[in-house]
Parts: sequence; C-alpha cells; structure tokens
Amino acid sequence: MSALTTMARSGRAAGARPRSRRGTRLSPYLFVAPFFLVFAAFGIYPLVFALQLSFTRWHGAGAATWVGLGNYAYLLTSPEFWASLGNSAVMWLLIVPIQIVAGLAGAVLLANAKLRLRGLFRVAFLAPFVTPLVAMAQVWIVVFDEDYGLVNHLLNLVGLPDVGWLTSTAWSKPTLALLFLWKTTGFAIIILLAGLQAVPAAVYEAAAIDGASRRRQFWSLTVPLVRRSMAFLVVVQTLAVFQMFAEPFVVTEGGPYGSTTTAGLYLYDHITASDLGTGAANSFLLVLLVFGLSLGAVRLLRPKDEVS
Amino acid sequence: MNQTRPGPVQYALLALLAAAFLYPIWWAVSSSLKPAADIITDPLSPGPVTLDNYRAMFADVPIGTGFANTALVLAVKGAMTMFFCPLAGYAFAKYAFPGKNLLFGIVLLTLMLPTLVLIIPLLLEMSALGWVNTYQALILPGSIDAFSIFWMRQTIAAIPDELIDAGRVDGASEFGVFARVVLPVIRPGLAALAVLTTMNIYNDFVWPVVAVNDTSHQTLQVVLSTLAQNVTGNRIGADFATVWGELLAAGSIAMLPLLVIFVLLQRHFINGILAGSVKG
Amino acid sequence: MTPSPMDRRGFLKGALGVGALAAAGGTLTACAPGTGGAAAPSRLAKPSASATAAKGEITVWNRSGDLFKVFDAAIGRFREAYPGVKVNHMAVDIDAKLANTLISGTDVPDGSFWDDAKIGGQAEHLYDLSDLIAPYRDQIAPYKLSVNTVAGKIYGVPWDLDPGLLWYREDILQEAGVDPAGLATYDDLLTASRTVRDKFPKTKPIHLDKSPFLGQLWLEMLANQQGTSLTDAQGRLRLDSAEYRRIFTWIQDAVKDGLATRAPYLEPADVNTLDGGQQVFVPWAIWWSFAPQQLLKATKGKWRAAPLPAWTPGGARSGAMGGSSFVIPAQAKNPELAWLLYEFLCFKEPGYTALYGPSSVYPGGLSTSVPSFTPALDPAKPLFQPIDALGGQDLWKVAVEAAATIPAAAPIPAWWAKSVDYLGNNMQRLMDGTMSPDDVIGESAEKIQRNLIDRS
Repeated sequence: MSALTTMARSGRAAGARPRSRRGTRLSPYLFVAPFFLVFAAFGIYPLVFALQLSFTRWHGAGAATWVGLGNYAYLLTSPEFWASLGNSAVMWLLIVPIQIVAGLAGAVLLANAKLRLRGLFRVAFLAPFVTPLVAMAQVWIVVFDEDYGLVNHLLNLVGLPDVGWLTSTAWSKPTLALLFLWKTTGFAIIILLAGLQAVPAAVYEAAAIDGASRRRQFWSLTVPLVRRSMAFLVVVQTLAVFQMFAEPFVVTEGGPYGSTTTAGLYLYDHITASDLGTGAANSFLLVLLVFGLSLGAVRLLRPKDEVS
Repeated sequence: MNQTRPGPVQYALLALLAAAFLYPIWWAVSSSLKPAADIITDPLSPGPVTLDNYRAMFADVPIGTGFANTALVLAVKGAMTMFFCPLAGYAFAKYAFPGKNLLFGIVLLTLMLPTLVLIIPLLLEMSALGWVNTYQALILPGSIDAFSIFWMRQTIAAIPDELIDAGRVDGASEFGVFARVVLPVIRPGLAALAVLTTMNIYNDFVWPVVAVNDTSHQTLQVVLSTLAQNVTGNRIGADFATVWGELLAAGSIAMLPLLVIFVLLQRHFINGILAGSVKG
Repeated sequence: MTPSPMDRRGFLKGALGVGALAAAGGTLTACAPGTGGAAAPSRLAKPSASATAAKGEITVWNRSGDLFKVFDAAIGRFREAYPGVKVNHMAVDIDAKLANTLISGTDVPDGSFWDDAKIGGQAEHLYDLSDLIAPYRDQIAPYKLSVNTVAGKIYGVPWDLDPGLLWYREDILQEAGVDPAGLATYDDLLTASRTVRDKFPKTKPIHLDKSPFLGQLWLEMLANQQGTSLTDAQGRLRLDSAEYRRIFTWIQDAVKDGLATRAPYLEPADVNTLDGGQQVFVPWAIWWSFAPQQLLKATKGKWRAAPLPAWTPGGARSGAMGGSSFVIPAQAKNPELAWLLYEFLCFKEPGYTALYGPSSVYPGGLSTSVPSFTPALDPAKPLFQPIDALGGQDLWKVAVEAAATIPAAAPIPAWWAKSVDYLGNNMQRLMDGTMSPDDVIGESAEKIQRNLIDRS
C-alpha cells in the first residue's frame, strides 16, 4: 500500500492536523460514504468476480477451471501481450506530451479576452469532444485513404508522394493518435482552463507591477499553478490511452499487421472471443502498469513545495 | 490579466487549425445529407442535398425515445455526480483521517480497472437483482464515479488551508464550510466537472448497450450502436451504404444538442468561471 | 434444465465471500463463475399445438438495416399462418449483446439471428434443435448443417447460404477474347488474367482483399470449396494441408505475375479500381451483387456472375462465405413458438418466399444470399428476379447451381475472428511477397495452436 500512500499524499494534505471536535473526525467518513455505498453495491461484486475469473479458464458457459496464475503466466510470456503494450506505449508518447502542450496553449489562448472571434475558436476546438466516435471513424478512413483520401490529394498538390496513413505500420499509429488528439484535446483544454482560471487575476497584476516579463509570468506563475491539473490530465489520459480500444477497432481493426493492436484492443479481443479468464488477468496487469505509470507522472509533476 | 492581442500570423494559424478541427464534423453532417450510396462512392465532394437518410433513420430506430432516456439518465446521474463527488473530493483533499490512503487507493483502483472486464459480472449482479431493463441499472452503477472524485480532489487541494480554517473559526459546521467556503471558490472546477460529466454520461455506450434490451429504455448511444453494428467489425453481406446514411444522420442529430449548448453557453461558461475565481 | 434464480443468488454470495477465494485451492466449485449460466443444454421437442392453437408472445432479435424490414414483412406472413402468436421483432446490436445476455440468463430473447461463426462457441446456452430439424435434415445444404452441428447436435436453424461466385467484367472479357464459360479451374483463371492483362496493360485483373478479416473469410470459402475448413469437427487445426497450400500457392502466383489488385472490400480504393476498369475478376460471395446494384456507376450493368473455377478438374464450383442462422436460447420463455417462427421462415414456402421474393424494400427480391433449404433452390423457380445492374442476368440460376455443389465443413471455432491476427495477417504478408505459403502455414498454425486452441 505504500504506493497508494504516496499517491494520496501527492495531493496537498496540508489541512492534516489533529482536530479534536467529534464532528470533524466523523465528517470526512460521511463525505466519502456515498461513493463507498455505491461501490459496495455495484463495485465489489464485479471486482471480486473479475479477480476470481483471472485465476480460471472460463468461456462463459459451464464450470470454470481453476488455473492459478496460468493466465498471468501466459500473458507475461506472450509476445502478443508485450507487443500490445509496446503499441500503447508508442501511442502514449504520440499523444500525451502533445496534448499537454496543445491543451495548455489552447487554454491560454481561449482565455485571452483580446482574442477576436473567441467564441468561434472555442467551439471549434471543443466541438470534437461531443461527436460520436463511430461516425467520426469513417471520416478518418475516407480522409486518410492511401489512394483517394483528401490528405494525400493535398500532399500531391504540393508535389509530395502518397503516404499509407492507415496501411503502413509506420504511419498507422500517428494517424490513430491524431484521431485521439482531435477528439480529446477539447477535454484537455477544459481541464487546464479550469486550472488556469483558478489562478487569481490579482496574482498576475502583482507580477506585472513587479515588472515580470510575460514569458516569465508564464513559467513562474501559470505553469506551477496548473501543475495539479496537468498531473490529473496525465494520469487520466495515460489511463485512456492504455485502455483505448474503440478507435483502432473501428478504424484499423488493429492493423496493419497488428501495429494498432493497443493494450485495450488486445484485452477487448480476449473478451469478444469469450476467453474471459485471460481477459480478466489482462485487465489486472493493465491496472498495475497504469498505476505505476500514473505514480511516476504524479511524482514528476508534484508542486515543489510538497515533500513526500 | 495581462494579455496580448494575437497578430495576423497567429490568426491565420488559428483559423487553419479551427478549420481542420471542424472539417470532420462538417463532413459527417454534409454526408448525412447526401444520397446514401454517394457517401462511399464519392466521399469527399458534397452531393445533392436530400433528407432521405433522416427519414429512413427516424422510421427505423426510436431516436426520440433515446433522447428522452438520455435526458433522464443525465439529469439523475449528473445531479448525483455534481453533489457527491465534490464532497468526497473535499474529504480526500482537506482532511487527515485514518484509512484515507486505503480509501483513496480504492477510488483510484475503480478508476483504473477497464470497464470491459466488469460488464459480465455487473450484468450477472443486475440479473440477480432483477434490474435488467430498468432505469436504476442505467443510473446507479458508476453514479458517483472515481474520475469526478479525483478531479475534485485535485481542484480542492489548491485552495489555501487558511481559507477553510477561517470558515471554521466563523463557526460554520463541517458541511457548512464545504457549502459556503469551498464550493464558491472552485466554481471553475465545478463548471469543468459539469461539462465533463455531461459528455461522459451522454456518450456512454458500453454498459447501456448490455444493460437494457427493450426499446423503451434505450438511450441515444444504444440507438446509435444498433445502427453502427453493420459497419463496425465485420461487414459481411451488410447493405452498408444505406446503413452509413442512417448512422451519420443519427450521429449528426445526436451531437446537435451538445453543440448548441456549447455555442450558446461558451461565453457564460468561460467568462463566468473567470469572474468567480477572482475573489479566491 | 435451466438454473433457478436461487443458483445465481448462491453464486453472488459465493463471489462476495472473499474468504472463499483464499480457500479455493484446486478447483472453484461452489463459487465458480459459470454456475450462474446455463447448465446442460436442453433438447427442444416438437410443439404439439396446431397452427391455429399456438398461442403466446415471443421476442426475437435481429440485425438492423434493410434486412430487418424484409424480416418484418415476412413475420407479418407468419402472423397470418399463426394468428395466436404475437412476435416482438427487435433490432439490437447482437454482437455486443447476445453473448452477454446468454451468460447472464436474464431477459433472454426467445430467438435470435446470429452469425454461423458465433454459434459453435455458445452451444451450451442454446437449445438442441436436432429433433425438430430431423425431418428437414436431408433437405438442408450440407455446409449449413455442418456449421450448426456441434458434437452431433444441431443448435441453429440454418438460414442463408452465401455461395462464392466469380464476378467478372463481361465487356472486357469479350474484347480480350476470353470465354467465361471456359474458366473451369483456378489455373484457367490465371491464364485468362494474363490474356486480359496483355490486351489491357493497365488492368490488374484479380481482386485480392486487403482487409485481413475479410481476406481470411475469403480463404475459408476457397477451403470450403475443397471440402475442408480451418478446424475439423473435433476442433483440431487442419491448416497444414494440401488444400490450403494449393490456395496460398495460387495467391502467390497471382501476385508474382502482377495479376492482382489489392483493395479493401468496397472502400473508396476498391470502388474506384472496380469502376476504373483495373479489376476484372472478383471471386467473392453472392453478396457482392450489392456493389453493382448500389455502388458502382461507370461499370454498372457490365458485371456478370459465373460459378467459381474449381481447384481440381471436376471439383466443386463454389464454397460458402459467411452466413447466419437462428438460435433459440436455452432460457427462452416460449422456445416452441420461436421454433414455429423459424421453421416457417426457413422451411415453409410462404416464409422463404416472403424473405427472398419481391418486397417493398427490394422490389426484385433479396439477392445477397440464397436459402439453405434445398427445395427452395430450384433453378427454374427463381425467388428473386434477374438483375438490371448485371445486364439482366438471371443471378438466381447461377447462384443456386453453384450452391448445390458446396461441400460440408465443420462448426466454426469460437476463436475464429481472433485467429485473423495470425492467419489473416500472414495472408496479407503472402500478398506482400514477404512470406511464402509454407511460412504462412507454419507460423499461423503454431500461433493459433498456442494462443487459441490450447487455451479454449
């Protein structure tokens, strides 16, 4: 549990001082109780079931066979499992850093009162977030078609050759990453905008009086203050990237040559093939991995004034 | 705030980027207005405008019922999230109490567990309760979700402790401090939570698709998945030109309410939360 | 036997008792996942009531789309024959829902449309229909009977048969002096393709599919034609065989000679090369007929269908590619009535005529498959009409004559779609020229055995 402890501490528990009043001692439990009631009712059973399932071989019918750590051993020695993690790791590198930078730039920009047509830009950057994926996937198939797609058509106009956006193993991941970025950068902007706007304007005014340059204001005021939102974003998007399955499922079916079979799609495949035990074991391995990654990210982005 | 006015180059770049962001949406909407077969044979140029896809879609699927059910689920589940998640986030951010780390660990665990693996056990539980095909099956599981608690904890952690202690000194109850001190200060975070919760509930399909069977309980995304089944996965023998037409028509209609809300509220949404934060 | 609600509650308790998890050493028994699902498969007996006496309500699931409307009209005919039966016909996302619903056992439909590929893996949750189908057994296409038979018991009411045909450009063959009637073997097809290519250097006559999934489905059609399939009735892999090697070698030859256009089924690249005259031969299931009817513009009316060439002189001239049947879940409330409906749709003349004959959705009839009930397959008594988009060709006659030659296969393993990651992908590598037929067989067989068969 030490990992959990660190994770929990990374949020500033500065109010952590002993209080004597009885209400104070009870209140936090009352405040978190609703979540745990719902969790007790609808979370524990599926969780225990899934955990149990991960030690069995079961295809949805008949009795399950206990296989101990067999499913875990199978996955950990399976090249396909590691390949799916590798694919997701590459997707992570293509998505998360870009999204943090683009999200922050977008948030700063959209909060700028001097930007003309601000409403239009806000709608443009946030709108993809509300679109149904399955319909948008078709846009990707059509626009990035190797022979007849709009993108290659534009490339040809400026004298560049065709690119196999969805058909070459080199480009399939960036093309899917672009779909993910397109669809969720609005989400990143909303999160960072909230963080940014929690920065009191008075702080900026004080800094401006002090004569801090805008560049310095950004690095010394803005960035530290949205760190917490950034940490949140990194954790949540790490999760989303490693669990991603719908995008590759509808656009590339995991291809070409398995190059877009992400960790989430690999897991999804076990479940649709009714290999439920392996699917469950795969889920728990993913939880461990994502947990480790999140922890690392949170540590990196922890505000300087906090010591663990 | 000390802000600069963007120059022409920045505007040009922004406009280009905005066009690229809007293009896929424009494509989906304009394609939904084309004759169905043209969507595949001539995907990039706009064809003659027709409402055939919409007529066919309205005749084939109960999209009106879908809207009504989504609105109901959104109202109840959204209200639960908006009330209970900030409260729990506050407890995790600003109190020290025995077992806190363990409890927050459980919150994070539920966030990290892939939904896919929980579908079958949850469905078995709903069966045992006799809840398949009910609104409570759509609403209650995940109604107070880990994502929102985590986000609220991050937001509330940024509030200076002095502010909270000042509230206590004023003699407010613990809940009173939350309601009168914490909530007003985190208005930007709450606004973001409201938007994200709306999107999450509105677009959720993995669980609703298996949790309800009868037409009267289908949400909008369940209706969409009924249309999408012929174009996802295998396409064996599907007459998928007509299917694409109906799917894009339903998709366009489905995103319309949220887009309209966005366009109408964006000014209030962003400026409003900016104003609220100055005091903090 | 169907489990009582008590079983599931017991299971719930079992799973909730975390202690039980630690205690479970050897096998999970009392709290094993699965005790909540269907137990021993039930055998459905013939309903005793007569047509007019049959009474009750059933819910049946179907795919959405135009096919749904055709079924809706046919179910209307069923109501005329069985006035006491109310049918609640629903369009649902079957792939996402049916398997889960069968496992949970709640609110299970009385019957459902399902891919033949899914039925074998879920037999435990379905009624054994052997006794009911027995009277029709000899009149069902052997292929459809074989994919619905698991361990000697029949679990699906066989619906459509999807014969593979050779689609070709009539005008181009004429100009190149190729007689389509002379395309008796796959070697003849290669020879004809060379002739066409020499006459029209821009053509790459033969369609090879770029989608690994559909490519593998197509492979199974070619294998079925030779009387084999990926696994036998006992689930043993039979990829390492002369039949599969023959197919892979043929593909390799076509690619090496530059005779193939590789395009993903009816995506823009495919539609454009079909309409642009680059593709001349498309060996594909009958449902390709939808392309000239709805998608192709420039070459509409210029395509014709012929039986597939044979792999060996005198061999079968078709194989099946895809197809669906109707299942009756073991926990259906009114299984007898569901059977009456499916019996009517599949084996009774007014039923299959309503499905395949002219309808408001398809004025000329449903021409993307044919029934699997052989009495319906009379070349002289077409259910659907000649097709203008095929120059008025009588597709019915071509299809039913080809269908009559389709050999039996075996039930499709539950992991079939997942094997595409190995076999389907390796086939694409074969077409890329980066793998030999022996590599495809060796490498795919090894991975399918290890990752799928050994774990099922």
